[in-house]
Amino acid sequence: MLAAIVAGRSAIGAIGGWDTRDWPVTIAAEITDFNARELVDDRKLHKFIRRTDFFGIYAGDRAAAEAGFDAHRVSLDSAAAAAFADRSGCYVGSGGGAFENQYDYLPLLAEAHGELPAFGAKLAETVNPMWLLRTLPNNVLCHVGIRNRLKGSNACITNHSVGGSLAVIEAAEALAQGEADRALAIGHETPIEPQNVLYYDRCGLLAADALRPFDQARSGSVFGEGAGALALETPASLASRGGVARGEVLGGGHVCEAKGLLAIRDDGDGTARAIELALADAGLDRADVAMIVAHGNGTPQSDASEARAILRVFGTTCPPVTAFKWAIGHLIAAAGIVEATIALAALRAKVVPGIATLTELDPACAGLPVSRETRTVAGDVALVLCRGFAGTDAALVVRALGP
Amino acid sequence: MTGRRRVAITGIGLVTPVGNDAASTWRAVCAGTSGAAPIASFDASGFPTRIAAEVKGFDPAVITAPNKLVKYANRSHRFALAAAEEAMRDAAIAPTPGDSERWGCAVGTGMMGVAFGDLAALQRHSAPAGELDAHALLDDDTAADPVAFCRSQSTAGVALLTRRFGIRGYATSVHTACASGGQALGTALKLIRRGAVDRVLAGGFDSMVNPVGLAGFCLLSAVSSDNDTPERASRPFDATRNGFVLGEGAGFLVLEEWSSARARGAHVYAELAGDGNSLSSYRITDSPPDGDGPIQSMRAALADAGAHPEDIDYINAHGTSTGMNDRSESAAIRAVFGGDANRISVSSTKSTMGHLIAAAGAVEIAICALAIERATMPVNANYHVPDPDCDLNLVVGDARRQPVRMTLSNSFGFGGSNSCVALRHPDHVDAP
Repeated sequence: MLAAIVAGRSAIGAIGGWDTRDWPVTIAAEITDFNARELVDDRKLHKFIRRTDFFGIYAGDRAAAEAGFDAHRVSLDSAAAAAFADRSGCYVGSGGGAFENQYDYLPLLAEAHGELPAFGAKLAETVNPMWLLRTLPNNVLCHVGIRNRLKGSNACITNHSVGGSLAVIEAAEALAQGEADRALAIGHETPIEPQNVLYYDRCGLLAADALRPFDQARSGSVFGEGAGALALETPASLASRGGVARGEVLGGGHVCEAKGLLAIRDDGDGTARAIELALADAGLDRADVAMIVAHGNGTPQSDASEARAILRVFGTTCPPVTAFKWAIGHLIAAAGIVEATIALAALRAKVVPGIATLTELDPACAGLPVSRETRTVAGDVALVLCRGFAGTDAALVVRALGP
Repeated sequence: MTGRRRVAITGIGLVTPVGNDAASTWRAVCAGTSGAAPIASFDASGFPTRIAAEVKGFDPAVITAPNKLVKYANRSHRFALAAAEEAMRDAAIAPTPGDSERWGCAVGTGMMGVAFGDLAALQRHSAPAGELDAHALLDDDTAADPVAFCRSQSTAGVALLTRRFGIRGYATSVHTACASGGQALGTALKLIRRGAVDRVLAGGFDSMVNPVGLAGFCLLSAVSSDNDTPERASRPFDATRNGFVLGEGAGFLVLEEWSSARARGAHVYAELAGDGNSLSSYRITDSPPDGDGPIQSMRAALADAGAHPEDIDYINAHGTSTGMNDRSESAAIRAVFGGDANRISVSSTKSTMGHLIAAAGAVEIAICALAIERATMPVNANYHVPDPDCDLNLVVGDARRQPVRMTLSNSFGFGGSNSCVALRHPDHVDAP
């Protein structure tokens, strides 16, 4: 994924999920080679989960396997294995509800002609009996837990775009406070639905042609979909099983602007405060940050206020700033964690990937050190920013370790 | 424990099927007055279950938030705004421009975003034959209505609350089904402890009493279909129990860092003393018969609160009145408390209020705080036929009046998340 971004390749293309002729928005970054069996091998599970859950379960399983959680647990005697499971947590940022969840009821509504007595009477013969379970926002938490024997502290965070970042922050806090010895953090979402696209477009949030963070010609965001996961572990637990850390969560900050459902402040108040809290939490100075991965969702107001916030905190000594949504789209609840994983890969490769859709920096973002070109990075710490509905702002500080 | 920040409960607000404020709800759960009745808010005559515990006579005028905000609120958000206003009034404190960054908001949010009316309208226009015609959405008024969109978002509740009260610190929505409210309070406790904020407006809200919500539970055969005797349908731990009664409502608490609450002379109901959180990792709906999962959450809550089984006087059980939950929870209580389980009073207030789903944990933690303050334990209504698998010291008949040093509140959700929250009498915090 990092190589594609550095090469300037974007996953954004024509929406294939439905016929978008006459639609105001026709593009998204879709996962096109979706193979249910490859993502989740347990076919019995397929009727209990949705598209977003496939991605979340797959990402969670992969992170746990790469970390070697399961391989270690099965090497233990039964009492130690049980204790290992009880000390293994799971934190998930989930998109929560979606509009297509409710569409299982459309045939019943049509058959009942909108009459409720008929709706109730024909219910059992028309609707999948597993409907409620299929639509649980916490499905990924449940099934990743079962599949990987995670039985410790947990959360399912349904907080729009900051969900994935909050999953990382809360998982790291659970380890720091001794609630668990290891935890998966996962974010997943599939927002590319017809009704959702229309709503976001109606609210002025989507671009028709491309996502251009901080560019003068930017006109909105573009949906992406998918999931990301990180396996976190305390140094003591990792050392006891001879594991190797590839990165470190140094700190996080999260705040709210209290402006209502979609509104945000022009001055970047929330982003600036989240950055300052995250740096303080990490015990770092501004100068320690080698790269900033901005939220950069491509909407006029969000990018301008975010640039203001970054410059307010970092002033004239701002490290290189980049953003990834121009290439992968906006993964909503998965955005923060997916972008944190790309940031770690970029730090290890010692590059700040460029923003290929950036042609002319918006004067409202003047002074923000963004670039079309790939730059080298002088350090191992990245700041990853995330903003969501309800005026929420999350900042995450991560460090890459090892080669 | 030295040096760790403690958390005080200084305000409570409730909107429940048995009362539209904390005082009336408390009276009902002590008297054993049921909130269950035939469903009045829509025509449920064709459903296998036609009863629910609905909020009754709710007057939206109690919400003092501006109309331009309230128009974005669905039914459950209105309950949330009303309960949160009561809690803030009760605590006699509110964020100021000077300290709003030090206030947080943590809520357990229901899973039902889309209003049934919006779904029905969408079907008439864009799915007349039952299959969605995406092209028809282009001129569908429902799909063009930003207010319908905003109300449907999982963040709508936390957005309305933070805006209403000017809360600018950590703000989050969580959803672990029926454990949501408990996990929201657990999150709030941790936010104050670790110093992320000093005060939190925390709670839960939900309303699934609508055709789609009720349908979901009917399809799973999870709700009681005792349609002729709604007031006796929820009978947790009774041998004849046959499912839960769907409720709705909201519960909110104002939480403050202990020493600052004491310094301002706030009335403190109880200490929010500990949180235990586990995942059963067993099956999506079933609880393990031996109580595995809930056992860990209760033990973790005790340890987190620095408490022992002998310190607990009352457990507000999850007690849904389903065969499986009540058996599993009883086994868990027996496993954790051993002989102390003979002494510890247990009741499920779902016997009167019904099951408030994502709001349940928050409302029941508020009930625990009131139990401590009023030295009274509410009843487990409708218990008549003992179940040998549910061998607990249930509060049967009348509410029990006795000093309550510590309580636990259990909430277990579909998906296997288990929450247990411990509360402590303020005298046992302040005393050396």
